[in-house]
Amino acid sequence: MSEYIKPLPVIKPWSKKFWEAARQHKLIMQKCNDCGKLIFYPRKVCPFCWSASVGWTDVSGKARVRTMTTTIAGVEQAFIPDLPYVLAIVELEEGVRMMTNIVECRPEDVKIGMEVAVTFRDCTEQISLPVFKLV
Amino acid sequence: MSKGKIAIVGIGEVPTGWYPDRHEWDIIYDSCMEAVRDAGIDKNDVEGVLCSPAVGQPKLDSELVFGKLPEEIGLKGCKDIASVNAGGATSANLLRMAEHWINSGIAKIILLMHATKYSSIDPNYLIQTFATAGMSMEWEYPFGTTYNGMIAMATQRFMHENNITAEEMASIPVAFRKWAELDPNAMFRKPLTVEKTLSTRMISTPLHSMECNMLADGGAALVVTSPEIAKKICKNPVYKLGEGGRYCQATVTQRTDDLMARMYREAAAVAFKQAGLSIKDMNILELYCAYPLLMPVLLVTLGVCKDGKEAVRFIAEGNTWPGGKLPCSTIGDALSRGHTGSGVGFAYLVETVRQLMGKAGDRQVKNCKYVMMNCAGGSGMNMIFEIFGRKL
Repeated sequence: MSEYIKPLPVIKPWSKKFWEAARQHKLIMQKCNDCGKLIFYPRKVCPFCWSASVGWTDVSGKARVRTMTTTIAGVEQAFIPDLPYVLAIVELEEGVRMMTNIVECRPEDVKIGMEVAVTFRDCTEQISLPVFKLV
Repeated sequence: MSKGKIAIVGIGEVPTGWYPDRHEWDIIYDSCMEAVRDAGIDKNDVEGVLCSPAVGQPKLDSELVFGKLPEEIGLKGCKDIASVNAGGATSANLLRMAEHWINSGIAKIILLMHATKYSSIDPNYLIQTFATAGMSMEWEYPFGTTYNGMIAMATQRFMHENNITAEEMASIPVAFRKWAELDPNAMFRKPLTVEKTLSTRMISTPLHSMECNMLADGGAALVVTSPEIAKKICKNPVYKLGEGGRYCQATVTQRTDDLMARMYREAAAVAFKQAGLSIKDMNILELYCAYPLLMPVLLVTLGVCKDGKEAVRFIAEGNTWPGGKLPCSTIGDALSRGHTGSGVGFAYLVETVRQLMGKAGDRQVKNCKYVMMNCAGGSGMNMIFEIFGRKL
């Protein structure tokens, strides 16, 4: 793997499991064992009911494009080789929204409402970023 | 915070621009001295100083936080100093703090200030600063977020939901520029058209460079006091009549569909209720937008227009321009004025006072009695509306 120069996620203790799963190319979400709500991004306690009993659940990785932009200029040097890239907010089937990139496509082909599926960008030995591709 | 507990009696401003050879403290001296002189007080009457953060300028920020200002410019009567940082919502929060200091007897006359100097900072450092300021380092930044990108995504969604064209969106920078053409303190003053806007470089779809703001240098200062003192020392003080704010979540993915609209409406309703006024009473809306999108969104929030489509048309038809039915953003917003970090809210506050004091020159809106302004922090973590007037 060539050296990854872009910023890596600064990981909090309670999101470690998310990133460990992502490295195994699995998308998981925190779920409150008390109120049953899905939690994204991961928290130390459930942000809905403050229960300390929070677990993890697999999610489908199927989503729709909520909105997106093709980034063309005005980025940090580390992102310049990637230009143009699609920055997007997707909404998972399960109702959770994530910031991500839409990859493996021509940027102009991405439209609001399109179906996408999770895939993973292997950045380092420890980190894979969940990104999405058109289905 | 209740109605009319604070008055603004003096303003000072260094025009927004690009001054690579000018020291940041030169900007501070000039804006602060101008505000004190404008208030007609002695410099030693200033009993408190409240500073806004110098975003992306850690050295200057540290100097301000650790009390350099009163010593440097010789405010011998200063009893205390503090910095308040709420990002782009700083100006409103400085006024809140000032109101508390005044009403609790900490200080009778307070100087509020902002200064920013970006022109001598490495552009790559600035890009990084703003790519990380207010962004989640875990859930946003690794994907290549920028402020342009964040607003571009919100704009894309707004255009999609309201069936708005690129030409219609491009009428908004034009509306801003109409005011900047008349503003000697604005950075970009040449006439602008929809065609010209759309011919500029695409930065982050659908935003062209003319739809993104440019970082700039600048500074502003205001002298504030109690209404009782204001009436004695100033012939045309400006009073804060109402204020409402709401938090909207820090990370954009956490903002559900109706959350921002609801929070914005609540914030505005609180401000109107406190002032005992309605949108119909406002002579100017000083809408701090930073990008085109917020102008139509706020016109809908405030009930001026029924939806986004109507709001964009309202702007395109010239209703917010000089001489229009409802003058808006009379400094030309950050797009034409230049973006000074936490300073744009300050520029709007100074302009609000100017308009109400009748000192806005070519931009003066006749019989201006009430002005509403707004400010917000980060990528929209909150929204604060404030209403100002000439009479309590």
